[in-house]
Amino acid sequence: MDSDTFSLPNLLCEEDESSLNELKLKSIPPPPPRSEEDHYIRSLIETESKSKDYACVSVDEITRNWFKCARLDAINWILSTREILGFHFRTAYLSLTYFDRFNSTRVIDNGKEWAIQLLCIACLSLAAKMEEQIVPSLSQYKAQGYTFESSVIQRMELMVLTTLEWKMCWITPFAYLHHFFSKICDECDSNQFLVSKAVALIFDFSKEVNLMDHRPSVVAIAAVLLVCDDQLTRNTLEFKIDVVSSLHSLEKQECIYECYNLLKGIETKKNNTPESMSSYDSFRNHRSTSSAIGIKRKLTYNGLEQNCPLQKISRR
Amino acid sequence: MSNRGNNSGGGGSNSNVNPSNRPEWLQQYDLIGKIGEGTYGLVFLAKIKSNRSKSIAIKKFKQSKDGDGVSPTAIREIMLLREISHDNVVKLVNVHINHMDMSLYLAFDYAEHDLYEIIRHHRDKVNQAINQYTVKSILWQLLNGLNYLHSNWIMHRDLKPSNILVMGDGEEQGVVKIADFGLARIYQAPLKALSDNGVVVTIWYRAPELLLGAKHYTSAVDMWAVGCIFAELLTLKPLFQGQEVKATPNPFQLDQLDKIFKVLGHPTVDKWPTLAHLPHWQSDQQHIQGHKYDSPGLYSVVHLSPKNPAYDLLSKMLEYDPRKRITAAQALEHEYFRMEPLPGRNALVPPQPGEKIVNYPTRPVDTNTDFEGTTSLQPAQHASGNNVSGAMGGPHVMPNRSVPRPMHMVGMQRMQQQNMAAYNMANQAGMGGAMNPGNIPMQRGVAAQPHQQQQLRRKDGMGMPGYPQQKSRRF
Repeated sequence: MDSDTFSLPNLLCEEDESSLNELKLKSIPPPPPRSEEDHYIRSLIETESKSKDYACVSVDEITRNWFKCARLDAINWILSTREILGFHFRTAYLSLTYFDRFNSTRVIDNGKEWAIQLLCIACLSLAAKMEEQIVPSLSQYKAQGYTFESSVIQRMELMVLTTLEWKMCWITPFAYLHHFFSKICDECDSNQFLVSKAVALIFDFSKEVNLMDHRPSVVAIAAVLLVCDDQLTRNTLEFKIDVVSSLHSLEKQECIYECYNLLKGIETKKNNTPESMSSYDSFRNHRSTSSAIGIKRKLTYNGLEQNCPLQKISRR
Repeated sequence: MSNRGNNSGGGGSNSNVNPSNRPEWLQQYDLIGKIGEGTYGLVFLAKIKSNRSKSIAIKKFKQSKDGDGVSPTAIREIMLLREISHDNVVKLVNVHINHMDMSLYLAFDYAEHDLYEIIRHHRDKVNQAINQYTVKSILWQLLNGLNYLHSNWIMHRDLKPSNILVMGDGEEQGVVKIADFGLARIYQAPLKALSDNGVVVTIWYRAPELLLGAKHYTSAVDMWAVGCIFAELLTLKPLFQGQEVKATPNPFQLDQLDKIFKVLGHPTVDKWPTLAHLPHWQSDQQHIQGHKYDSPGLYSVVHLSPKNPAYDLLSKMLEYDPRKRITAAQALEHEYFRMEPLPGRNALVPPQPGEKIVNYPTRPVDTNTDFEGTTSLQPAQHASGNNVSGAMGGPHVMPNRSVPRPMHMVGMQRMQQQNMAAYNMANQAGMGGAMNPGNIPMQRGVAAQPHQQQQLRRKDGMGMPGYPQQKSRRF
């Protein structure tokens, strides 16, 4: 496993000229020079705001409750596999975007856990092909309890590609994180603890919501604001955002405030539960103790997992 | 269940192969023959049966290594091309999946010429320089397409004469199309070494910062390549013809740097401050920094007076420091394009009556090769209007050419946006048996949204700013 890719300074490395000669720097998208970066971030936000990709999708909550749990398993599998294969966080997030996009177009029948597993592998493999420098062969993706031949995974990849109409380049919150940290709180930018907290928050959030419902820039700014200061009011939050010129195109401050509070709720819930296990461990444990489909799951320790499959989450 | 009826989507599956053993999607084309071969596959010339006059180039991706799934190059090329729409950039017409072996085929409009052939024709057959109108028009359109790509945060990274296509007879005659996006990257996407995936990239057009091992590079690398191409259009010879080292995956190309330094002089930290931080500059001091080169002599190589605007533009494209190198947008504003002859849309036919029109040869077609890439036993035929037949390699292979003949992704005219439907083959007809891995029972989503066909990353106001000044005259 490549621990480099896991470490946060690397994830958000500022690759200035002086670091160019350090060969250990790898696989980080080099941030463009500052002024260009502002321009770039603006164009990303503009792209998001023009797109209708982040409109809400309503799904029949009752029949989809099975799916919610399957999705949670999927996220946990993606996160643990990301760690094993040494992928970037943004790769995991991107694969989850594919997963949600796919499922907004197609419905996998209740109980077809293996289909979800296969979909997960295909989504993560495709995301790796988009984002990673070293792409593992399909046999390196280990499914939980199933073995898929490479040709089956390849067919699933093709199905995902055609379902998504080959639109594989989605913006993730990780494209903004570094920029927003540097704008909101310059000293936080180099604070590994805060950055990793923001990353964790983004993934906890992704477990609770459909990624199609939230603009990546909003998720990113809300996470950055929250880890820097969890006592913001509507007014102080708006004040902070106003300072940042590249954020002006992010016009919907209401959304940001809403997202900020959502994240805060998730964090509070998480902090009130025992932290004896990491989410990855709990996933493994969880998988081994829950057997077939539809059977009540072992309670795990964070967020939605605690309540699944009983909790009803409104996604409208 | 099959995807029958989905005629544009290539939904043909192994369950409905027709008597001639061809998947349904393929039957809409008449295959003429093979026109190119590259590291990632083959390119064929075909005609649409329903529209005999319409030529299509079909790029077949080689199967990726067993166990690797869908080729990353194919995914990236399709993903990028589906978002691109510009007169001077090829556009994907269709994507077909052959479900039997899961191979991918991309269909493009066919472009008869490319700069590699045009330059070669002038050098070897005509023995005469390309006229100034044509050089300027090609360069302007190339920059125009590149400006569009760069404004949309796309770097091409593999610009070279054979990837710059020019449309043959027809409504778009003489229009330049940037092709082959197999190595293109969206800005900020991870950058891979240019020689990974077994993809061979010629080093002649590679920017010095890349040759010196920069990890962080920008769209300026494409402008360097444009400068090399500009010089080649003027002199009919590659400007920096270095000997490629092929040993390791990403070797240090000393000879290429040597060729550059001989023409442009030795770079200095004064003029290029970040030079000192480039890996090879530091690690190979003895070769790179030790050797001293004479004063720059670019103008003598390209036979232009230093006062000539063409020379001024060229030298700004070949600026060592990528931060100071001219951008595509700036280049389009350069004085060179405001002087007579003004650039025009049909680069091949000068508007002034009496100007000599060069008849460029049509692309050789190997009519013995079928879509599977296997040689059939049919006697060779002559492609329409084409006096060259037989083996592909012959007329294309140049003695000093170190890379395989690249594939020609062929330009197309404004395709209607309806094309996107074709990307969505499996969707259109429900889950075809062949499409569905392991026959997963799936329904269409209860809340399926109409897919947005908007162009991600496209900016308003992008596109053709129009040819300088006298649009009406040229069109």
